[in-house]
Amino acid sequence: MTALGPAAARRRQSYVAWLFALPFVAVFGLFMLVPLLSSVLMSFTDFRSSDVATPWAVDFVGVEQYARLFADPVFRRALANTAYFVLLGIPLTMAVALLLAMALNTGITRFRAAFRVGFYTPVVTSVVAVAVVWRFILQPDGLLNRALSGLGITGPDWLHSTTWAMPSLIAMAAWRNMGTLMIIFLAGLQAVPAEVGEAATADGATAWQRFRHITLPLLRPTLLLGAVLISVGYLQFFEEPFVMTQGGPLDSTLSVTYFTYNQFGFGRYGIAAAASYVVFAAIAVVSLLQFRLLRAKE
Amino acid sequence: MSRIRFGLIVLLSSVLCVTACGRSASNNETAPGGAIGAGPATGTITIWAQGAEAEQLPTILKEFQAANPDVKVNVTPIPWPAAHNKYQTAIAGGTTPDIGQLGTTWMGEFGAANALAPVPSDLNAGAFYPGSVKSTQLRGGTYGIPWYVDTPVLYYRTDLAAKAGYRGPPATWADFKAMAKALQAKAGAKFGVGLAPKDFQGFLPFAWSNGASLTSSDGTKWTLDDPAMVEAARYYQSFFAEGIADRTPSTDPGAHEAAFVNGSVPMFLGGPFEVGELNKAGGAGFAGKYATAVLPRGKSATSFVGGSNLVVFKKSANSAAAWKLIRFLSRPQTQVAWYSATGDLPSVQAAWTDPTLSVDPKLAVFGRQLQDVNAPPATAEWTQVQSAGDAQMERLTVSGNDPAQAMKTLQANAASIGTGAR
Amino acid sequence: MTLTLTRERGATTPTTPARPRRRTRGRQLGVYAALIVAGVATMLPFVWMLLGSIKPAGEILADPGGWLPHSPTLDNYRQWFGALRIGTYFRNSVIVAVVTVLGNLLFCSMVGYALAKLEFAGKRILFALVLITLMVPGVVTFVPLFVVVAKLHLINTYAGLILPFLTSPLGVFLMRQFMRSIPDSLLEAARIDGAGEVRIFARIVLPLSGPPLATLGILTFLASWNNFLWPLVVAQNQDRYTLPVALSLYSTGEQATDYGLLLAGSVLVITPIVVAFVALQRWFVQGVATVGLK
Repeated sequence: MTALGPAAARRRQSYVAWLFALPFVAVFGLFMLVPLLSSVLMSFTDFRSSDVATPWAVDFVGVEQYARLFADPVFRRALANTAYFVLLGIPLTMAVALLLAMALNTGITRFRAAFRVGFYTPVVTSVVAVAVVWRFILQPDGLLNRALSGLGITGPDWLHSTTWAMPSLIAMAAWRNMGTLMIIFLAGLQAVPAEVGEAATADGATAWQRFRHITLPLLRPTLLLGAVLISVGYLQFFEEPFVMTQGGPLDSTLSVTYFTYNQFGFGRYGIAAAASYVVFAAIAVVSLLQFRLLRAKE
Repeated sequence: MSRIRFGLIVLLSSVLCVTACGRSASNNETAPGGAIGAGPATGTITIWAQGAEAEQLPTILKEFQAANPDVKVNVTPIPWPAAHNKYQTAIAGGTTPDIGQLGTTWMGEFGAANALAPVPSDLNAGAFYPGSVKSTQLRGGTYGIPWYVDTPVLYYRTDLAAKAGYRGPPATWADFKAMAKALQAKAGAKFGVGLAPKDFQGFLPFAWSNGASLTSSDGTKWTLDDPAMVEAARYYQSFFAEGIADRTPSTDPGAHEAAFVNGSVPMFLGGPFEVGELNKAGGAGFAGKYATAVLPRGKSATSFVGGSNLVVFKKSANSAAAWKLIRFLSRPQTQVAWYSATGDLPSVQAAWTDPTLSVDPKLAVFGRQLQDVNAPPATAEWTQVQSAGDAQMERLTVSGNDPAQAMKTLQANAASIGTGAR
Repeated sequence: MTLTLTRERGATTPTTPARPRRRTRGRQLGVYAALIVAGVATMLPFVWMLLGSIKPAGEILADPGGWLPHSPTLDNYRQWFGALRIGTYFRNSVIVAVVTVLGNLLFCSMVGYALAKLEFAGKRILFALVLITLMVPGVVTFVPLFVVVAKLHLINTYAGLILPFLTSPLGVFLMRQFMRSIPDSLLEAARIDGAGEVRIFARIVLPLSGPPLATLGILTFLASWNNFLWPLVVAQNQDRYTLPVALSLYSTGEQATDYGLLLAGSVLVITPIVVAFVALQRWFVQGVATVGLK
C-alpha cells in the first residue's frame, strides 16, 4: 500500500469514519431528529390532541408557554419532587451498585454467576409483582414496620405519609435499578488490570487506598456512563409513583414525567411537550455537571 | 460550517411555524349523516375492539356475515390499558379503522379532533338509555352509538347485614350511614363501607343524588361550588371523618373483593363485572351471601353511567357497511346475545325486557338503576376537571379540609380550564 | 494479524505475599453472608411472581399478599400455549429483538469507534446530537415518530417495528466511552503495518470490546423485548403483535385483571431475557481482558 501524505491520510480517515457512521446517521436522522424537531416546535404552540389531523392550525404561543408552565403550582411541586428524587437516588443507587459489583468481582470467587443473576432479577420482574411485594413490605403492619417494632420503633404508614412516601420510592427505585448499573460497573471493572492492584498491596496499601487511588480513577469513564444513564432514567422517573402512590399523598410523589403523562392524557400536547423539554434541559445540565466531575484525566 | 447550517435550519423551521400556524375561526357546525338505507353490506370492514369484547365479536358477527355474504369483517383486538394511545396515534397518522370502540369519556377528545363521522339519520337513537346517549352528543350532533353500559350499584353482604339487624338494603342516605355503622358495631366489620378517598368520579353519584349539577343548563359554565354539591361533599366526607370508610384503602389487586369476602368491608359501590370477580374470589356458595341494590336515595338515587360507544371514523372507506354492522349490534336480540356472551349490560332499553335479563335478581337491579343515571359532559376539558376534582377529594377525605372551601377551589380550577364550549 | 495481548482472567503470576489464611477466609464468609441475605431480599418479588403464576386467579383475588399457592395449577400456562397462541407473538418478539440487537451491536460499535478514535468533519456535532437525543424523554417524540413511520408506509410491517430502534444514542455513547480506553498505540501499530480501517475495526477493536458489547446486547435485548407501546401502535392486526402487547391484551380487561394469567405471561416473557443475560454475562467474564502495551 502506498504511503499517503498526512492530508490525504486525514481525508481518507474522514471518509472511512463517515462510512462507519452512515447507517447510524440515516436511522438517527429520520427517526429521531425529525420527530425531535417537530416536538420542539410543538412545545411552543397550544397544540392539543384534537389538532393532530390539522397540525398547522394551532396558535403559536412562544415562550409564554413555558412561563405558563412554571406558573402552575402543581408543575413546580413536580419539579421539586423530581429534584429530591434525583439528588438522593443517584448517589444511593451508584453506591449500592458499585459495592455489589466489587463484591462480585473480587470479594468472592464462587457462585458469581448465580449472584449476578440474582441481583439482576428486579430489573426483569413484572412491575405488578414488584408493587405487591413492596406494598407488603411498606404497609403499616408490613415487614418493615414489624422489623422496626422489634427494635422498639413504631414505623409510620410509609406510603401514605407526605414525608416518607418519597424516600420509600427512592429506596424502591434504587433496588430496581442497581442490577443494570451493576453489570455496567462489572464490565468496567474487568478492564482494571489485576496486577496493578496486587502490586499496590505488595507495597502495603490498604483496601481503601487501593480503591481510592487505583480502582476509582480507572473506573472514571464507566462511572460517568453509569451516572449519565441513571440520571437520565431518574429525571424521568414515573413507574414507581404511578404504581405505588398515584402521585400522592397530596402530590408529594408527583414527578415531572407523571405530570407530563397526565397532560398527554388530557390531550394538551403543547404543554406536555414543553414539560418534557424542561426535563431535557435538566438532564442536559446534570449530565454536563457529571462530565465535569467525572471526566477521565487524559 | 455545519453548525451555522444547522442553526439556519432551526431558525427557518421556527419562522415557518410562526407564520404558518394559526387557528382559523373554524366552523364547527355539523351536518347530519346521510341515511344508511336497506340492502346488504359489502366490502371489508375493519373493527378495533378492546379485550374481552374483541374475543366475542367474531362469534356474534357470524349471523351478520350470514345475512351479508359479500362483506368481510376483520376484528383487531387491542389491549385496554393503551387503547386510548392507539386511537390517538391512529388519528394522528391517518391509520384509523372503519369502526372503533371508544370509552364514553373519550368521546369529547376524539370528537374535537374531527375524526368521527356523524350518525346516519335513519339510525334510531331513541332506543338507548338517555344517559348513555348524552355521551355521544358532541357539537350539536350525534357521533356514536352506545354499545354497552355499566353503572355502579351498591353491593352488600346480606348475611352480615342480617347480623346487624337489616333485612334489606338501605333506602335513604340516613339509612345508609346507620347501616354502615351497625355493620361495624354488630357484624365485626372493620369499615362499614368501602368508598374511594380520591376519586371524583366515584363521588359524582352522591352529588347528583343531592340534586347538584356539574354545569349550567346550557353547558357553558361549571357549577361545582353550588350548595347542593357542597352538601353532598360534606356527607361523603363524614364517612371518612367518622371512621366508617377507610382513608387509605389498599390498592393491591383484588383488595376490595378480598375485604368484601372476608367481611372486613361488607359494602361497596361497584359495576356489573364485580359479580364475576366476587364469585371467583368467594368460591362456591358465596353468591348467596351478598346482593346488589340501587343506590340509597338522597333527593334522588342517581348513579354514574359509563360503558363503550361504537363510532365510525371519518376516514373510513366503507362507512355504509360499517353503520350497517353497528345497526346489527344495536338490535335488541343481538344485545341480549351479547350480554350472554360477555356480561356487558345492553344499552338498548328494549333488550332489558328479555327473560334472560329480567330473571336474575342481581341483574335486575342494574336495569332499575339505569333508569336514573347521569354522565359528565363529553368534553376533553372534563378529564382535566376530573383530575382537579380528585385532588380536592383527597384533601377532603384524607386531610379533612372544609368542603365549602375545597369545592370553591375546584370551581376556580374548573373555571380556568373552561368547558370547551367554543 | 496476531496479537498476544489477551489473557485469561486469574492467570496471573502470584506476586502477593502469603496472607494469613484465617483473615481472608473470615472476610470472604462475611461477604458471602451479606450477599446471600441481600440476594434473597432482592429476589422476593421475583419469587412472588413465580408462585403467583401457578395460582388460580381467584386465589390471588382472595389473598393478594399470600405466598404459597393453596391449589397450584398449570392452567395459566396452558392457556397461553393453547387458546392464546403464544407462538405467533413469541416469533414476532424474537424477530424484532434479534434484528434490533444485531443492528445495534454492529452500527453502534461502528459509530462509537469513529467517534472515539477517528477524526472527521462534523465529529463534535454528531456527538452533541447523540447526547441531545439521549437526554430527550422518549414520550415527547412518540406521536411525531408515528407520523413519520405512517408517511413512509411502514405501519404493520417488521421494518416499522424495528427501524426506529435499529441504532440507539445510548448504545453509541456506551461504545464510545469504552472504546476510548483502547490504547492508540495499538491502532497506530496496525496502521503502520498497513492494515485498513475496516480491518483494524474487525480484527482489533471488536474483539477487545467484548464486555461493552455484551452489556449493550443485554440492555438492547431487554428494551426491545419489553417494548410495549410502539409495537401496539404500529401493528394493525394481531399477526404483528409482540409478547408484551399480547400479555396486556389477554390479561387486563376494562376493569378486571386476570392476575394469574398476567403473572404467568410475565414469567414467559422474562424467561428469554434471563437466558440471554446468563449466556451473555458468561461471555464477558471469561477470556477477555485488556492490558496496556508496555
